[in-house]
Amino acid sequence: MFQGLAYSGKKDMKSALASYQQALKVSPDYLPALEGAAQIQYESGSPDAIPLLEHVLKVRPTDVTSHAMLAVIHARNGDCATAVRHFSQAGSALESQPEALQGYGVCLLQLKQADEAVRVFQQLITSRPDDVRCRRALAVAQLAADKPLDALTTVRPLLEENADVSTMRLASAIYEANKDTPNAVKVLHDAIVKDPTQIGLYVDFAELAMDHQSFQAGVEMVDAGLKAQPNAPQLYMARGVLYVQLADYEKAEDDFEKAERLDPTLGMSAAAQGMLANEQNQNDPALALATVRGKLAKKPNDAFLLYLQGAILSKMGAEPGSPEFKQGLESTKRSVKLQPSLTAAHNLLAKYFLDGGENALAAQECRVVLQQSPTDQSALYHLVIALRKTENQAEIPDLLKRLAKARQVATKQEGERNRYKLVVASEP
Amino acid sequence: MTLNRRSFVLLSLCASAQQLATGQQQGIASRGVKAQVKPAPSGRPFNAEFIDVAKQSGLHAPVIYGGIDQKKYIVEANGCGCAFIDYDNDGWMDIFLLSGTRLEGAPSEATNRLYKNNRDGTFTDVTEKAGLKAVGWANGVCVGDYNNDGFDDIFCTYFGQNRLYRNNGNGTFTDVTKEAGLVQSGPARWGAGCAFVDYDRDGHLDLFVSNYIRFSFENAPVPGEKSTCNWKGIPVNCGPRGLPTGRHVLYRNNGDGTFRDVSKQAGIDVAIESYGMTVVAADFDEDGWPDIFVACDSTPSLLFMNNHDGTFREEGVTRGVALSDDGMEQAGMGVGIGDYNLDGHLDLFKTHFIDDTSGFYRNDGKGNFDEVTRAAKVGVETRFTSWGAGIFDLDNDGYPDVLFVTGSVYPEVEKKLPQYPYKTRRVLFRNLGNGTLEELESQCGEGITTAHSSRGCAFGDFDNDGDIDVLIVNMNEPPSLLRNDQKVKQNWLKVKLEGVKSNRSAIGARVIAHYGGKSQAQALVSQSSYYSCNDPRLHFGLGAAMEVDLEIYWPSGLHENLRHIAGNRLVTIREGAGLVPNRGWSR
Repeated sequence: MFQGLAYSGKKDMKSALASYQQALKVSPDYLPALEGAAQIQYESGSPDAIPLLEHVLKVRPTDVTSHAMLAVIHARNGDCATAVRHFSQAGSALESQPEALQGYGVCLLQLKQADEAVRVFQQLITSRPDDVRCRRALAVAQLAADKPLDALTTVRPLLEENADVSTMRLASAIYEANKDTPNAVKVLHDAIVKDPTQIGLYVDFAELAMDHQSFQAGVEMVDAGLKAQPNAPQLYMARGVLYVQLADYEKAEDDFEKAERLDPTLGMSAAAQGMLANEQNQNDPALALATVRGKLAKKPNDAFLLYLQGAILSKMGAEPGSPEFKQGLESTKRSVKLQPSLTAAHNLLAKYFLDGGENALAAQECRVVLQQSPTDQSALYHLVIALRKTENQAEIPDLLKRLAKARQVATKQEGERNRYKLVVASEP
Repeated sequence: MTLNRRSFVLLSLCASAQQLATGQQQGIASRGVKAQVKPAPSGRPFNAEFIDVAKQSGLHAPVIYGGIDQKKYIVEANGCGCAFIDYDNDGWMDIFLLSGTRLEGAPSEATNRLYKNNRDGTFTDVTEKAGLKAVGWANGVCVGDYNNDGFDDIFCTYFGQNRLYRNNGNGTFTDVTKEAGLVQSGPARWGAGCAFVDYDRDGHLDLFVSNYIRFSFENAPVPGEKSTCNWKGIPVNCGPRGLPTGRHVLYRNNGDGTFRDVSKQAGIDVAIESYGMTVVAADFDEDGWPDIFVACDSTPSLLFMNNHDGTFREEGVTRGVALSDDGMEQAGMGVGIGDYNLDGHLDLFKTHFIDDTSGFYRNDGKGNFDEVTRAAKVGVETRFTSWGAGIFDLDNDGYPDVLFVTGSVYPEVEKKLPQYPYKTRRVLFRNLGNGTLEELESQCGEGITTAHSSRGCAFGDFDNDGDIDVLIVNMNEPPSLLRNDQKVKQNWLKVKLEGVKSNRSAIGARVIAHYGGKSQAQALVSQSSYYSCNDPRLHFGLGAAMEVDLEIYWPSGLHENLRHIAGNRLVTIREGAGLVPNRGWSR
C-alpha cells in the first residue's frame, strides 16, 4: 500500500497500480488500496475503474467521490439513468467539478428531468458566470422545462454582444416558445446572413414555416439554402416535406429522390417517399399501399414504412379477422419493435388492438405513447375506451381530466400556429 | 430548435395531413380527413325518389336568415330548424318553420310560419291566425304536449328569449313563456337545441335547452379580426372557437303549467365547456330512464346519463360519442337516431363540418357506443358542411337509411374559392342490410341532387301515403318539401303512441318492431335532425313482411307487447289499452 503511494508520488502509475492490486489481494476490502487503484483506472479512462469504485461503495456507501466518478463514467458511456443515480449521491464532490455538473445536467435533460437540469445548470453558472456554454445549457434546460421566459432572460446577455450562430439558433427557438415569432424569424434570418452555409439554419426555418402553416415561405428559404449548399440532402428532405403540405407531390417526389441519391444512408428518404405515396393517393389507397410495399421490398426493416403500411390498411377499413387486418397488425407490431420511439405506430397499434377486441393490449400501447407524449389525445382517448371495455374504471376520471387539458392545449396551440404567417421577402 | 433539427423531418412525417389541416380550419373544428374510398356500386335499384314539391304545395315564403352574400356574425350563419306537427289533431302533418332576421332589420317575410295541411298536397299559411307570428333569431324547435291536454305545444329557442307556445286546441297558440316561468334574466342567451323529456318519469314533460355560445353584437369580433375569423385564408364570421361557451339548462315541469330551472341540482350545469347544438333525449342504456345527448360544435359532445334520482352524470367521452375515434373534437351539428343494424338498440348519426366525415355510433344496448363510420362506409363523404340528419327507412325495404342536408356557413367564400360553394346537395346513404351503407349520387331524384344551403330538416309523411317525406329549411330561400315517391310499393307500418300514465305525447317511448326476422328499435323524441322535430308517428318500412310484433317501452316504465299487427296502416296505441281508433286520418 505504501509502495503504491510512493509510486504515485513519483507519477509511476503502472507500478503504483500493481502495488495497490497486490495489497488488495491480501486485503480485498482495504479502502486506501481500492481508492488508489480506482483513481488510477479512472484517470486512465479504463473500464476497470467501475468494479473498483463499486467495491469502494460497497465498503463505504456514502463515498461521494466514488459516486461522482461512477457518474461521470456512466455519463460518458451514455448510461444516463445509472449516471444520474450516482450524480444525485455525489453531493459536495460535484461542487468543484464543472465538467461533472455539466454531464449531470445533460443526462437529466436526456432523461426529461428538465426542472432538475435547470437546478444543476444554475449551480454551474454560479461558479462560471461568463461561460457561454454553461449559459446556453441553462437556457436549453429552461426551454425544456417549459420556462421560456426564464430561458430568454438567460440567453439575452449572449445576444447583446456578437453572438455565435449556435446561440442565435437557440435564441430563435426561445423567442418562438415565447410566442414572439417575429423575433424568432429575425434572429434566425440574422444567423443565416452570418453563416449562409449552415444547413441546420434553413431546416430550422422550414420547421418554423411548418409550425405556422407558411409552407411556401419555408420552400423559398430552403431554396435559398440550396443555392448556398446545393448538395445538402437534408435540405431536399425538408423542402420535400413542405411540398407535400402544399400538395405539390411531383416536386416533393423529386426532392426525396434527390435526397436519397445524395445520401443513401440518410434513412428517412424511403419513409418520406412512403408518406408521399400515402398523401398523394388518398383517394387510391391501393396505389399508396403498392408504393409503400415497393419501398418495403427494398427496405424491409424500415419502421416508418411498416407503420405506413399498417396505417393504410387500417384506413382501408380492414375488418378484424381479415387477412388485411392481420397484415396491418403485424406490420405495425414490427414497426414498434424496430423503432419503439415511433409514437404514431404505437397509437395505430392501440387502434388495431381496440378494433380487434384486445383491450388490455390496446391499453398497454396507449401507456407507451403516454410515457413519451403525456398529452397525446388519441392515446388518452383510446386508453379511456380500452379501460371502459375492460371494466377497469378507476383510472378513467383522471384520464378524462388529462384529455380535457390536452384538448385545451391543442386548441390553444392551433391558435398559436395561426397567429403568424411567414413570408420571405428576399434572399439572405 | 438546435436540438430538434432532425426531429423536424421525423415530426413532419408523423404529423398526419389531418392534423395539419386542422390548423387551417379556424373557427370551427374539422379534422381535415380525406374521404374513405367509395366501394364499387352495389347496382341495386333504390325504390324511393324525392321530388321537391314546396312550390306547388304553397310553401313560397323564404326562410329569412342573416345576410345573403355575407355573414358578419355567426348568429347569421347557423340557421334554424323546422317541425312536422299535427297541431289540429286531424291526422295530417302540418308544418312549422322557424325564421331568423337580418342585422339591418327584419324584412316583411321574416317570421316563424305555421302551415296547415290541406290534405290534398297543399298547405295554407295560418301563422297569424294561429298567433305564431314572431321575429327574431330563432334556432331550435321541439314539440310536445307539456300540459297533457291532448294538443301538441311548441317550444322555440332563440338568440334572445326562448318561447313556449301553448296549443289552445282551437287552432291557436298562446305565448306562455312568462307564465310558465321560462323568462331568462341577465345577458341574452343563445338558446340552441331543445328537447321535451320526462326525465323524472312523473308523467309531465320537462324541458332541456342547450346553449351555443355567449354572444353579444357589442363584443363579437368581426371577420378577419382574429385567427378564428378566417377560413381558407378568407375573412369570415368568427367562432364558435374563440367565443365563450353556453350553459345548458334543464327545466322541471311542475305539473301546473310552470317550469323551474333544476340545472344545478340535476348536475347539468357542470358541463360548461361545450358549444351545445341539437338535443336528442332517449333511453340509450335501456334502463327505462331517458338520457340526453347534445351534439356540440368544435367541442366534445355530451351524453347525460340518467341516475334515476333527478340527477345526471355526463359520460360522453367514456361512452364513445363525444369525440372522433382518434380522440379529436368535431363540429357536431345535427343528430339522427335509429337502429341501422337492426339489433334493437338506438344508434346515433352526427353531422359535422366540411373536410370531416359524419360520425356513426353503434350502441351496444348499454349506452356504450363504437364509432362505425368507416366500417359502415359512411366515411366516403367529407365534401359538405352537414346539418339535419335522420335514420329512416326511405324505401320501405326494412332497413333504415341515412339522409342529411348540407350547406356552407360562409357565402362569401365561393366568390374567391369556387370549389367551396355555399349551396350544396343533399346526401342519401341507402342501407345495404349488411352493416354498410352506400351513398347514392343519383337515382334518388332531383330533391336530393339540387343544391341549397340547408340547415334543419324534419322527417315525416305529410301526404299520408306510407313513406317518409322530408321538410328542409334553406337559408334565405323557401323551404324544400321532398315528396317521397316509391317506385315499387313495399310494406310499412306507422305507430302513433298515446301516453296515459306517461306524458300524453309518449315522448321518450322506445318501440321495437319485429318483422320478417328483423328487429328494429325506434324512439319517440321531440327533437333530432338539426334543431328540428319529426313526425311523431313512428314509421317502420317492412319490406316484404306483412305483419309486425311490437314491443313498447313506455316512459312510465310499462312494457307492452302487441302481436300480429297488420301492416300498411297507421295504428294508434294507448298506454295500457292497446290499439285504439285513430284520430283523424286513418287507412
